[in-house]
Amino acid sequence: MPAGRPGPAAQSARRPPPLLPLLLLCVLGAPRAGSGAHTAVISPQDPTLLIGSSLQATCSVHGDPPGATAEGLYWTLNGRRLAPELSRVLNASTLALALANLNGSRQQSGDNLVCHARDGSILAGSCLYVGLPPEKPFNISCWSKNMKDLTCRWTPGAHGETFLHTNYSLKYKLRWYGQDNTCEEYHTVGPHSCHIPKDLALFTPYEIWVEATNRLGSARSDVLTLDILDVVTTDPPPDVHVSRVGGLEDQLSVRWVSPPALKDFLFQAKYQIRYRVEDSVDWKVVDDVSNQTSCRLAGLKPGTVYFVQVRCNPFGIYGSKKAGIWSEWSHPTAASTPRSERPGPGGGACEPRGGEPSSGPVRRELKQFLGWLKKHAYCSNLSFRLYDQWRAWMQKTHKTRNQDEGILPSGRRGTTRGPAR
Amino acid sequence: MSRREGSLEDPQADSSISPLPHLEAKIRQTHSLARLLTKYAEQLLQEYVQHQGDPFGLPGFSPPRLPVAGLSAPAPGHAGLPAPERLRLDAAALSALQPLLDVVRRHQAELNPRAPRLLRRLEDAARQARALGAAVEAVLAALGAETRGPPAEPAAAAAAAAVAAATAATDAGVFPAKVLGLRVCGLYREWVSRTEGDLGQLVPGGPA
Repeated sequence: MPAGRPGPAAQSARRPPPLLPLLLLCVLGAPRAGSGAHTAVISPQDPTLLIGSSLQATCSVHGDPPGATAEGLYWTLNGRRLAPELSRVLNASTLALALANLNGSRQQSGDNLVCHARDGSILAGSCLYVGLPPEKPFNISCWSKNMKDLTCRWTPGAHGETFLHTNYSLKYKLRWYGQDNTCEEYHTVGPHSCHIPKDLALFTPYEIWVEATNRLGSARSDVLTLDILDVVTTDPPPDVHVSRVGGLEDQLSVRWVSPPALKDFLFQAKYQIRYRVEDSVDWKVVDDVSNQTSCRLAGLKPGTVYFVQVRCNPFGIYGSKKAGIWSEWSHPTAASTPRSERPGPGGGACEPRGGEPSSGPVRRELKQFLGWLKKHAYCSNLSFRLYDQWRAWMQKTHKTRNQDEGILPSGRRGTTRGPAR
Repeated sequence: MSRREGSLEDPQADSSISPLPHLEAKIRQTHSLARLLTKYAEQLLQEYVQHQGDPFGLPGFSPPRLPVAGLSAPAPGHAGLPAPERLRLDAAALSALQPLLDVVRRHQAELNPRAPRLLRRLEDAARQARALGAAVEAVLAALGAETRGPPAEPAAAAAAAAVAAATAATDAGVFPAKVLGLRVCGLYREWVSRTEGDLGQLVPGGPA
């Protein structure tokens, strides 16, 4: 129900019962063909009540022959016969009912209170709406996908259980001017969410709030003020590729592309990588992969399949100072490290490709040493790439030596070569 | 082919260009549609009573079977009528059901807004009633029988009156509206099932 508009119960409660022409025979209380039977009216018709309150109702019988009696009438509520002591005959044609401490309605279409004749036939019915007014919705959070739209989610007050249909309406307006607008696309990311697809302004704050309304009242959340640029998220990085690094059995190289929708704006994008061993559920997360589209995972187990995912945080869009919102993770990409005879280390952090700052202490120190060598020893060819090639060569050499000494089964032997210059 | 009631014999047909295969195909197709919709109508009824709450879903629940304006259940003598007459009644009932199902859907949208499957079934039923009614009229036309429906304007006026009646009934209270919806869904099931039976008698090889 839109806010402020009464439901059918309230409407029928306000409007007197219409005079139905003979054609309109579908209202209960019209005589059944051939029965010479009675009709009845229940009052109140479709009341709305608070949980725990009481109800006094009457069933007044009319009929042919006149002087229809209330003797023998009985009540049911949701199909269950009510105890006789809850009813009393008010007069010859009226049976009263008193219910106390009502529970919340069993279904949102209303509890069915029915007045029956002695033979069990239905004379009249009324629907009870027993519940609670809504509490203030809270915890509104919003995000914009690529600055094109806005999706908001909220938590209903009192965990949403009012026992009555409660309508939630997300409203928004530009902070300093403009009229109130109402979001129209609901339940896009869960039962309490709404999506605003277009016509959003940047560089100016919005005020956003949620109104909850049911038959017993309404409530309004606190107002959330935000700028679209402060809540931007984007698509996961596409084209994530994971590959081996030569023969290095403890490393994998991860490459990706910056999300295309924001590629012209992602000057300060952050990325995160997570990876796990194939048959594990524990992810390891590599943070601070700042504004680069490749990374090397080091310290991995040899001969092991790894699943890798990447996500992006487009913070700093148009100078926004806020943190930004992480995208979803990319689809998992798998690759395996080369096998080794030696057990490898357990796992480690993302390592940079050649020339990039190191995240591990050994490699950091090595980088510093190489830098010093280049400066003081005039070794201009030194680089991390050279170091990695040396490592690969060392491993090959180690394997070949073990085969010659009979440590390993004999196999193909390649020519042992030193690192490339 | 023996002359039995409901047969497809057309004595005026040119035997070299027989329309019978097309007519048979049309009847089979419409019969299949009616059979499918009978199943859907049963599902709609089950879904409907679930959302109204007890006693609507309880065995033995029997509100007064009051006639709905503009539509009644198939008469006891329906099966004894000639095939074209039965199909005409089927088509007329299905045509009358569509606006009534719309009224029920609108009211259920207020009573049970978080029951999307029920609302979808009601919307589909209105559409399917119209489609089946049109298909039955096409069979009648192919049989060479007049559809003999009321002229367009009075039919539209009758439909509007039925809708107004149903809407007014819902204004009289929620419980009567629930009962009306049950009645309409029940009538829909009865007429679709009746249509399936009537067409089944025309399907070659079907029961006489």
